[in-house]
Amino acid sequence: MDSVLFYIQFVLAPQMVTGLALGVAVVLVALGLTIIFGLLDVINMAHGEFYAVGAYLAVALGLAGINFWVLLLLIPLIMAPIGYAVERGLIQRVFNTGEDRHVTTLLLTFGLAMVIEEFILIVFGVETMRPASPIPGAVEIFGLFLPNYRLFLIGFGLLVVAGVAVAVYRTRFGSMVRAAAFDRNMAASLGVPVSRVYALTFALGVALAGLAGVLLAPIYSVFPTMGRDFIFIAFTVVIAGGMGSIAGAVVAGLLLTQVQAISSLFISPVWSQPIVFGIMVLVLVLRPQGLFGRLGHA
Amino acid sequence: MLDRLSLSMRASHILVALLVIIALVFAVVAWSTGDRFYLRLATEALIFAGLALSVDILLGYTGLLPLGQALFFGFGAYVSALVLREVPSFWVAIGVVFLSTLVVGLAGGLIASRARGVYFALISFGLAQVVSKVVYNIRELGASDGLRGIPILDIEFGLVSISTNAPLAFFLFTLAFMLILYAIAAYLLDTPFGRVLIALKANEKRVPFLGYSIFRARLAAFMLAAQIAALSGALYPMLRGFVSPELMFFAVSGNAVIGVILGGVGTLAGALYGSILLTVMRSVVGTWTEHHLIVIGLVFMTVVIFLPRGLFGFVRPRLEALLAREHRP
Repeated sequence: MDSVLFYIQFVLAPQMVTGLALGVAVVLVALGLTIIFGLLDVINMAHGEFYAVGAYLAVALGLAGINFWVLLLLIPLIMAPIGYAVERGLIQRVFNTGEDRHVTTLLLTFGLAMVIEEFILIVFGVETMRPASPIPGAVEIFGLFLPNYRLFLIGFGLLVVAGVAVAVYRTRFGSMVRAAAFDRNMAASLGVPVSRVYALTFALGVALAGLAGVLLAPIYSVFPTMGRDFIFIAFTVVIAGGMGSIAGAVVAGLLLTQVQAISSLFISPVWSQPIVFGIMVLVLVLRPQGLFGRLGHA
Repeated sequence: MLDRLSLSMRASHILVALLVIIALVFAVVAWSTGDRFYLRLATEALIFAGLALSVDILLGYTGLLPLGQALFFGFGAYVSALVLREVPSFWVAIGVVFLSTLVVGLAGGLIASRARGVYFALISFGLAQVVSKVVYNIRELGASDGLRGIPILDIEFGLVSISTNAPLAFFLFTLAFMLILYAIAAYLLDTPFGRVLIALKANEKRVPFLGYSIFRARLAAFMLAAQIAALSGALYPMLRGFVSPELMFFAVSGNAVIGVILGGVGTLAGALYGSILLTVMRSVVGTWTEHHLIVIGLVFMTVVIFLPRGLFGFVRPRLEALLAREHRP
């Protein structure tokens, strides 16, 4: 009995907390992805690169002497106009070509991802960088030493998720977003500026990705392909949770990262990625619409 | 009487014939200058063009975007490499690749053919991710290093034999091999089966009303594309002497899609041209800067925005009009 408790306290629990910190970060990235898909029908292949840009900006501005807490606010404010411009300048262009919108926007953002990744390589080089943790140290809870920063990440991340949920479900902008997702023509005839709502939503998603970049840089360090590595799991989360569902992204994000964290206790961590992708394929085959419904559809 | 599909196929044949002429001229020039490097590079370009061809069957004719087609390309390459290390015979390797791809293509198709649109793209992507990560971690398959030491082959044709180490001969052999794959794909797509696929792309809901099974047609298209990708991949270890898990990675699948978009979706010949053009662009821009991906990404985005039907979406209708005029009495 004691050994079971010991196992739970010192093996399982720390692993789950680490998984939870990752989970919250994944949810932040997946949230942007799922809102963009739910409203615009765009699979944003460049989302991981926006996350990477956020992280790199945080490192660069951090080296320039700007405080981490300022960056937490500043980076989303820098990323949002970038997202707005990308939607207006690129994505809106292929919106009405008559081809399959999913495919053309996916291809376009795929090209954009290539360009951004190379751009990062040119500007910052290939070295891995790791900013110092803004809240060093750890606290002891039930005999466990938990790093302060991870606890902060979990709390702050959940606050942001709650903030986004309030914005989407309780504000005027949110009701415009949901209306446009449900029926864009009807929303437009009711006076919703649909194309601006699209661009703003895209900007919101990109800002969230950038924010995740700032938050995760001190834990997972910063390197040119970080976006590509991270986006796979975010995609899995979005698919499993239901494309365009906020609740789905949160539930699936937290569950999948727990699966990853706990399974790596029993089998070599190199296998956790195939397992996560296996789950994604399984969900796609059995329940293609995901666990939860789409944005705007109840 | 020629209908639109046969007409477009004929236009495609002409463009492929042109490609063969270009390839032969290139071969003569390369041979007379005693070049080795560019012949090997061109051979590799042709092999990857086979992968692009398989992507076009799905994207251009069936309306499914495969984001993980490199799975089958890599599968063909690995099976071929494994066989060649034991039995150094081209025909045995191709036979084993063909048979095993029937099974693997069926399995993949049963999973992926249920989905459509974006979900198909993501399943295909996910399957390739799972398998490439698994291969990457299996020590028996060489893990991240891949398989090395694939022997140089003599491909026997009864009277003559072609060494995979002779750049010119193997280039010509690969060209012929790709022509056969193209001919098979073009022939099948010109049959009633091909018309069902095109109907699927145009309007999926009406197809069952005409008495055709969506699932079966899609499965068949998936298996055909898998077969062409795997058979192209089977040549890779013969050319390079090794295989690595990178062959299954997203970059390879993505490149094939870029090639198809550049050349023109749904033109078959465009897939070949686009893929070869991409390889040429890569090596030319690669000599200027190591950041050639930025150029390729920009070109790709430009094509998606301004030329959504690719280069041949522009050229082929004109050729078709010309052909239609010839066939009118």
